Amino acid sequence: MAVGLRHFTARAGNGSGEPILDTDNGEELVHVQPSVSVAVGDRAPESPGTLYITTRQVIWLSELDREKGYAVYFLSLSLHAVSRDPEAYPSPCIYTQIETEADEVEDESEDSDSECSEVLDLSKIREIRFIPSDANQLDTLFQVFCECAELNPEPIEEGEEEGHNWIFSADQLEDEAGAGDDVEWHFSQNPTNTIGHSNGHHDLASSVLELQINDQRFEDAEEMEQDSDTGHHHQSQHLQD
Amino acid sequence: MLFFSYFKDLVGREVTVELKNDLAIRGTLHSVDQYLNIKLENTRVVDQDKYPHMLSVRNCFIRGSVVRYVQLPPEEVDIELLHDATRREAR
Repeated sequence: MAVGLRHFTARAGNGSGEPILDTDNGEELVHVQPSVSVAVGDRAPESPGTLYITTRQVIWLSELDREKGYAVYFLSLSLHAVSRDPEAYPSPCIYTQIETEADEVEDESEDSDSECSEVLDLSKIREIRFIPSDANQLDTLFQVFCECAELNPEPIEEGEEEGHNWIFSADQLEDEAGAGDDVEWHFSQNPTNTIGHSNGHHDLASSVLELQINDQRFEDAEEMEQDSDTGHHHQSQHLQD
Repeated sequence: MLFFSYFKDLVGREVTVELKNDLAIRGTLHSVDQYLNIKLENTRVVDQDKYPHMLSVRNCFIRGSVVRYVQLPPEEVDIELLHDATRREAR
């Protein structure tokens, strides 16, 4: 599934102008809000348009230009909020942050020249605002965003449970070090995995605490790279390639 | 489900949620779900350098998968209780 903001142009040809959804995979339209402007990143609002919220994504289609539309999957929306503070933004709107490819691959070379270039690189856009002409609709829109976001948790890969190589104590590390440097690390994206899940026969009484505090697997990857010289010189160090 | 239960008990308290993109948001914990999606009320951005125009939003919904830390008021944290709960959960 594509990360970040995308162009969306697939409209039904029957005159309704509605977006074509992935109904084969169960995507459904949840809410339609006409008379909504969209402000992409730092750019000025574009209007008029219609906001379509589906079970998988948010789609905005321009009413003036039938070739123009934007979409972003809920999996890429880091947060959304009702913004009414005029100092934050002149019009009341739904403010959303988008997780981009750059966030995922820790790309430090971000350039915010999306304002200057004619061809907008949507994949670098981190914020988008939806401005309904009727501000009273904001709370409803916020609710719909919440409900649909909740329908899109991180996908769970099958077989990940068996593939875990969770380490619970330094003793276990010494046992496995004999196998050489071939230990394969699996980083679970699944937030519902409870900490301390055991796939072995280990004493967990003290080890669970160690897991939470010392285990560098809970560090963000970027911190690991930056800190490789300064810190983490404890039992996990030799496990890095 | 341990942390889901734990955060449910903290509803109504002031917390600071730090996202993986370094943004930190302070607010009142309104609700949490099984994916640790977090809804905050009366939010304000802690460090405004990166996202200055996100100054104050009334309600916000934060996707669980982008949360790095949830900072709790120290008086709300019962370490012994957490120890026992995590050990029990691990069995």
